[in-house]
Amino acid sequence: MNNKLKVLRAMRNWSQAELADRLDVSRQAVNAIETGKYDPSLPLAFKLARLFAMPIEEIFDDGYKGGDDAG
Amino acid sequence: MTVTREATMPVENTKPHNLPAMIVWPIIIVLTAAGVLGGFAGYNQAMVDDGGTPLPAWAGPLAALGFGAVALAVYARRYRSAWQSLPPRRRHYWLALGLCATIGGIVGGWLVADQPIDRGFAEMLASGTLSPGFAVGASLLWIGGLAVGMVLYHRAIDDHEERAWLWACVAGWYAFIFPAPAWWALHRAGMAPPVDAMLLFLLSLIANAIVWMWLKFR
Repeated sequence: MNNKLKVLRAMRNWSQAELADRLDVSRQAVNAIETGKYDPSLPLAFKLARLFAMPIEEIFDDGYKGGDDAG
Repeated sequence: MTVTREATMPVENTKPHNLPAMIVWPIIIVLTAAGVLGGFAGYNQAMVDDGGTPLPAWAGPLAALGFGAVALAVYARRYRSAWQSLPPRRRHYWLALGLCATIGGIVGGWLVADQPIDRGFAEMLASGTLSPGFAVGASLLWIGGLAVGMVLYHRAIDDHEERAWLWACVAGWYAFIFPAPAWWALHRAGMAPPVDAMLLFLLSLIANAIVWMWLKFR
């Protein structure tokens, strides 16, 4: 899953370690999310959304382009 | 969902921590104390071999304990506030790892002290006879320490590490269930030596460690 975490972090001039401290996770977790090697859990995604004051879907992009895939 | 607004509020005063120094110094202190202990033991052994009078048996442990106490007090004075400023999750994380390392150090030091002087390294680790006192003590430390350490660890790790740990445990389990029955069957057919549980344990541990490190640090 793609995400804008690196950009959002850079806009605030935070290091990975600083962001990790703010989220109370390890620096490796931030790095893994940024590089797309790990998709965060829903609670962590909500934490990120609150920290950056943005909806989750503006931070993460699952590649869904629209249409009806319900059911 | 247990996340609360309070729990996710941004940390306003994030200070850089010199975590490597905070972790490395206690290790150096403990190893130096062990070195002091070993130095006294070596000196006494040399004195006995030369027909001289060794120092009292309590001198080495007293010197090691004294050095350790003073050094740890200096360390605590220097780094107490740094530890207190860490978020609770990270403090508990390092507490869990520190507890496991301490237990490992105690078991390792006790194992060395429990061996006859002329015993080789491989024999000490793998095949040499152990005293009942050490066997019971090390088993209790392993089971009790691991239980407490793992509870602390699981309460302290984040989602990313939890995922790494779960996959590492799956890999460790596969490293056991794939070879064990095959080895057992081959042994029953007279084509392999008896199944070595500790070798399988080691294999499982290595698979666990490789996958954990790969998922945690890649």
